[in-house]
Amino acid sequence: MSRRAASFILGFALALLVGAGLWWWLSGRVGLRHVGATAETEVPTGEKVGFNLYFPADGGDLRSEPRELQVTEAPKDRIRKVVEALLAGPKGSGLVRPFPEEVTLGTVQLGKSGIAYVDLRWQDHPDPPPSGSTEEIQRVYSIVDSIVLNVPQASRVVLLWNGTQRETFSGHLDLSRPLGPDRGAAAPAASDTPQ
Amino acid sequence: MAFLCLLLPVLVGAQGERPQAPPAASPVPAPTRGPSVTLEGREVQVPVTITSSGPMFGLSPLVDLIGGELTSDESGESISLRIADKDVVIGPGNAIITVGDAIFSLSQPPTQGEGGLQVPVDFLTRTYGDILGYVFEWRPETARLTIARRGERELAVSLDVVHLQGMTTVVLQFPEEPRYQINRSQPGAIVVEMISDRLTPPAPKEIQDPLVQAVAIDPQRVRIQLAPGVQAASYVLENPFRLVFDVHQTSSVDVPTGPAARTEQAPGIRTIVIDPGHGGSETGAIGPSGVPEKELTLQLSRELAAKLGRLGVRVLLTRNDDVVLPHDTRTAIANQNKADLFVSIHLNSSLGSGAYGTETYFLSPQATDSRAARAAVAENAGPAGAGTTGADPAAQDLELILWDLAQSHHMAESQRFANLIQGELNQTLQLRDRGVKQAPFRVLIGATMPAVLVELGFVSNPDEEKKLQDPAYRDQLVEALTRAIARYKSQVEHTPEPAAGGAQPGSAAPAPGQVPGQPAPAAPAPAAPAPSRPPAKVGRPA
Repeated sequence: MSRRAASFILGFALALLVGAGLWWWLSGRVGLRHVGATAETEVPTGEKVGFNLYFPADGGDLRSEPRELQVTEAPKDRIRKVVEALLAGPKGSGLVRPFPEEVTLGTVQLGKSGIAYVDLRWQDHPDPPPSGSTEEIQRVYSIVDSIVLNVPQASRVVLLWNGTQRETFSGHLDLSRPLGPDRGAAAPAASDTPQ
Repeated sequence: MAFLCLLLPVLVGAQGERPQAPPAASPVPAPTRGPSVTLEGREVQVPVTITSSGPMFGLSPLVDLIGGELTSDESGESISLRIADKDVVIGPGNAIITVGDAIFSLSQPPTQGEGGLQVPVDFLTRTYGDILGYVFEWRPETARLTIARRGERELAVSLDVVHLQGMTTVVLQFPEEPRYQINRSQPGAIVVEMISDRLTPPAPKEIQDPLVQAVAIDPQRVRIQLAPGVQAASYVLENPFRLVFDVHQTSSVDVPTGPAARTEQAPGIRTIVIDPGHGGSETGAIGPSGVPEKELTLQLSRELAAKLGRLGVRVLLTRNDDVVLPHDTRTAIANQNKADLFVSIHLNSSLGSGAYGTETYFLSPQATDSRAARAAVAENAGPAGAGTTGADPAAQDLELILWDLAQSHHMAESQRFANLIQGELNQTLQLRDRGVKQAPFRVLIGATMPAVLVELGFVSNPDEEKKLQDPAYRDQLVEALTRAIARYKSQVEHTPEPAAGGAQPGSAAPAPGQVPGQPAPAAPAPAAPAPSRPPAKVGRPA
């Protein structure tokens, strides 16, 4: 091998090494920038907003409990936070949680027509808890009223159970179509005005 | 290309996994000789269609051969077959039939075909088999239906007569269901006549009862001789089979119904469907001591059906056993039988404590939206899509308008009826009045007659749960419901109202448009009793 050929090979190898290093450095920068951007959107930018949550109450009614929840402007986020707070249960006396403690919130969707889709999930329970009509009304309208009377972009609610829309939860209310609020049952007390 | 090669099997697989609709009852090739029917050993001419769900037989020729009377209403929605003293109600395209007071679900719905209405074998077994004692045997290998009369059975019968709280109950118990008919044509007597069965009478028993003078049993019949001024309502209990007669004094709530008021066109309450809430795996509410709502609703409904017999109306239960029954089937039973009232019996529960009392619901307007109307109109067009739906938009719009008118009328009537029920329950029994309310309850959607859902107490409340298990308390509830129905009936039929036990009609009535679960403020005047049927019957969910 002549000296000229050897220098050419060495130069080519050096160029390859520099190129690979540059690529590694640049891809690392891009990766960092991407991670940084994601982390930035995950930081809560919302604020504390007052809501009236409608909980089942003694006597078979619904009664509102004022709450401050950390939410963004996004209606879907507000629906999610409202339902999660309902499922977590009330803070005041004389009120009860609408569903058993193990029930969790799955997907939340909000259609352009104002219909909110709320999926309630209870592992290993294909059916909602059995109940009479008042109990079913308390459960269903606790969710429906708390959404529709707090999030103006949602006018009606479709409730799903473990991802499936049912004819009824417990044999009474027709859940095969979106439900509007039961304003009479859930009218907030004067002192319950949102903050 | 490689991508397509990979994608193709996935697409083909997905196609294979796509849920398939249940196979329609489509005609399939029959054996080469052709299906045939023999009656008592001789071949008879009856049209037979073989479908994938089984054979279908022309009903009209069978009626001519075996007996019975076949009639159809003007709309063709409902066909009645009278065999002995029992009415069989058929809705073409609907697998549910009513035989007397019993309801059966067939393997496939009766449909119009060659020779008119065609029916499956189990229809024949449930009707001619059970009522007249015929045996129907279909052999697929020869495509032959053999019809023969069953031999006489010897059935032992036992008799019990019990008098309690002013009512006598006569119980006839059999080892299996006999073929019988009840004859009430003799004044002061009820005769249970055997059809192709013979009874083995029990040892003679002396009856000392204020309401029943004697019970005579011979191999052909049981004759119950009643005391003057009493009435009896009958019902059936299963396992073992019992024929029960509740005998009671003619009550002040009885409404005089003259023949003139019973013409076909006159407004009236002739058929009432009682719907025991829940059933089977759908238990409804469970009380603190473990009592399921479904059991109490069935007990209450049976007791109510027995009491309503005194009003001279036909009473049907949507279920008489512990079975799951879809909501649409419950209202379909009422629609198909042209019921004039639909009463769904429920018991309540609540989250939290302190809830008690009774409430009565009728349908809220948000449940009667245009989608429901269009669905009902489409259903009414029949399974083959016949009728106006889809064919003539103008006619469809007219049907929707008529549906809307009918629904408005039903809601007003349901409200009036609900108010009478609440009045009787609360003022008579001094129960807590939770009011008349509206809600989008599934079981009330699609009913084409005044329809209510009555909550007769909270099983979640320990005190009320205990009371609801007491037969005497249940009897008071059922008596109050009976009075409310009698009062509504008399209002509709322009007959004198029975003595009121409770509220004035129309008082504190809610207004249509009320939100779910809330008492309504306004009160519509009872005014002129409206016709019991809508201006046009357009909704008939199948």
